[in-house]
Amino acid sequence: MAKTIIDAHNVSKTYNPDKVPVKAVKEVHLHIEEGEFVALVGPSGSGKSTLLNMIGGLDDPTSGSVIIDDVEITELSENKLIDFRLHNIGFVFQSFNLIPVLTAKENVGFVLQLQKFDKEKREKRVMELLKEVGLEDKVNTKPGELSGGQQQRVAVARALASKPKIVLADEPTANLDSKAAANLMDIMSKLNEEEKITFLFSTHDQRVIKKARRVITLVDGKIDSDEEQTPSEE
Amino acid sequence: MLVQIAWRNIWRNKMRSFVVIGSVTLGIWAGIFILAFSWGLYQSNIRDSVYKQLSHIQIHHPKFRVEKDSKFFISNTDKILDSLHSDKRILAASSRVISTGMISSPTTASGVKILGVDPPSEAKQTGLNENVIDGSYFDSGKDNEILIGQKLAKKLKVKLRSKVIVTFVNIDSEMISAAFRVGGIYRSKNTSLDEENVYVLKDHLRELLNLKPAESNEIAILLKNEEDLKAVKNYVAGLVPTGKVEDWKELSPELGLVIESFNLYTYLISGIILLALIFGIINTMLMSILERVRELGMIMAIGLNKRKLFSMILLETLFLTLIGCPIGLLMGWLSIEYFGEYGINISRFSEGLSSYGFSSVIYPALDNQKYAIVAIMCVITSLLAAIYPAYRALQLNPAEAIRKI
Repeated sequence: MAKTIIDAHNVSKTYNPDKVPVKAVKEVHLHIEEGEFVALVGPSGSGKSTLLNMIGGLDDPTSGSVIIDDVEITELSENKLIDFRLHNIGFVFQSFNLIPVLTAKENVGFVLQLQKFDKEKREKRVMELLKEVGLEDKVNTKPGELSGGQQQRVAVARALASKPKIVLADEPTANLDSKAAANLMDIMSKLNEEEKITFLFSTHDQRVIKKARRVITLVDGKIDSDEEQTPSEE
Repeated sequence: MLVQIAWRNIWRNKMRSFVVIGSVTLGIWAGIFILAFSWGLYQSNIRDSVYKQLSHIQIHHPKFRVEKDSKFFISNTDKILDSLHSDKRILAASSRVISTGMISSPTTASGVKILGVDPPSEAKQTGLNENVIDGSYFDSGKDNEILIGQKLAKKLKVKLRSKVIVTFVNIDSEMISAAFRVGGIYRSKNTSLDEENVYVLKDHLRELLNLKPAESNEIAILLKNEEDLKAVKNYVAGLVPTGKVEDWKELSPELGLVIESFNLYTYLISGIILLALIFGIINTMLMSILERVRELGMIMAIGLNKRKLFSMILLETLFLTLIGCPIGLLMGWLSIEYFGEYGINISRFSEGLSSYGFSSVIYPALDNQKYAIVAIMCVITSLLAAIYPAYRALQLNPAEAIRKI
C-alpha cells in the first residue's frame, strides 16, 4: 500500500473573516498517495487555487490541518515552512513562473543554489531536466525569448530540480495553446512515472483532465466528486 | 546568485536606473564641489591671515595683548631675531613696535593701530609692499612717512602727500602728537583692517614712544613649513622665557573655529544632499518592487526566505547608489583638481567678501578624509534608502502576491 503524501484534514479557508466573510474552502478532507497524478477541477471560484496554496504552505487554513509527508505544515514557523517548501514541494504557476533576468538554466538551478548544491551536481541535474523537458537547446535563453509553452516547461523542470516529494501546479496550461498544453501534460505525466513524484494540478481544461489518473472536483469550496480514471493517450 | 539577480534587476529598466544613478552622481559631485569651494574660500582666508597678517607665531609681553599698551614690550629683540634668523625652519622673522591712537586729518579723525615696522623685514614677512596702490613703500627716506589703507584715506579724505596727525600715549603715559605725511596708500584683501592699521617706521615710532633700541612689542615668525609649528613654538618659548608665545590659532581663535565648523559643515551639506537623494532612491525602488509583486511572490513561494529577499533588495539599492557615488566622487575630484589649479574668479562679489578678508580668486580644495566621509555617508544613505522598499517586499504574502494583477 502506497504512503499518504498529502493529508488535508477538515481544511477550511475564509477570507475577510471580520468584514464580509467569503468561504473559499469548506471542511475539505483530502488524501493523496505517493506517486499519484491528480487533477483538481472545478469552475472558477470553486476554491482550487486556495486549496493548492494551503497544501503548498503558501496560505494558512482558517481551520483544519495539512500534513505533507508526515509533517504538519500548518504548525511550522514561517522560516521552517519556507525551508520545507524549498526541499519538499515544487511549484508551477499559471504565469510569472520564472525570474526574467535569469536564463532557463539559471532558473532551473536557482532552487538548487538555494539548497547549496555544489556547482557540478547542479549543472548535471539542470541539464538532465532541461533535456527531459526538451529544452536542451534553450539553456542560455532568457524567459522573454521563450514561448509560453517553453516557459512552462522550464517551470516544470525547476519544480522537479530538487527532487521534491510533490509538485503542485496551479492551472499550468491556462495560458497555453492546445498543442503546448498537451505537450506539457505529457512531460509531467512522464516525469511522474519516471521520478515517482506526486503531481497535483488544478485545471478546468477538459483535454488536460483526461490526462489525469485521478480527478477531484471542487464545487463551492467542497469536494463534489473524487474519481479514478484511465488517462487518455490523445 | 542573489548578487547576479540584483545586478541584472537594476538593468531591467535602464532609463529609470540611469536617472537614479545620474541624480546620485550629480548630488555627490555638487556636494563635493560645494565643500571644496567653501574650504578653498576658508583656506584662502586662513592663508591670507597667516601669510599677510599674523604669521605662524607671535611673541609678546604677557600683558600686551590684553592691555594693548606699548609699555608692555620685549627686550633684546635684536638678539632674539638673530637667533631666529639662524634657524633653518624659519622663513622670516621681524619685530614691530605697536601703539593705538587717533589719526586726524583736517576733516575728521579715526581710531587706528599704529605699527612701527622695518620696511624690508615687513616686506618679507607680510608682503606689505605688494599692497601699495599709490605712492611708495617707505622710499622717501624721511622719518615721518606713513602708509595708510585706501579705506582710511577715503574716510579721512586725504591723498598722497597729505599731512595727518597721529596722537597716542607713550610708555610713560604721556600724550604724544606727531605729524606724518602720507607716503603710500595700500589696499589689502581685508578691507576692514585697511581702515584700522597704519604703518610707520619702527625706529621713529620707538623714539616717539620712548622705547629703547631693541625693545619691541611684537615679534612675528613665518615658518617655511606649517608642520614645524609645534616644534618651533617650543623652541621660541625657550628662547624668550619671559614672553608669551602664541601660534596663529591662538592669536585668531576664529580661524581655528572656521576649521572646526567646516567639519560640521561637511556633514551638514553631505547630509542634506544625501537626504534628498534618499527619497529619489526609495521612490525608484518602491516602483521597482510594486512592478514585481507577482515575481517576488513566486520566488518566495519556491523557497527564497525573507532574509535573502531583503538582501536582494538591499543589493539592488546598493548597486544603484554605489555606481553613482564613485562617478560623482571622480567628477568632484576632477573639477576640484582643475579649479584648484586655475581658480574661480569671484571678483564680481569680492567687494563684499573682502570686508571679511576673503580673496577674489578661490582655489577649491578638499582633503582625502572629506572624500572618505562623503563615500561613507553615501553607503549609509543607500542602506537607509533600501530599508523601506525591502520592508514592503517582506510584507508580501506569496499566495496573495502571485494572484495580484
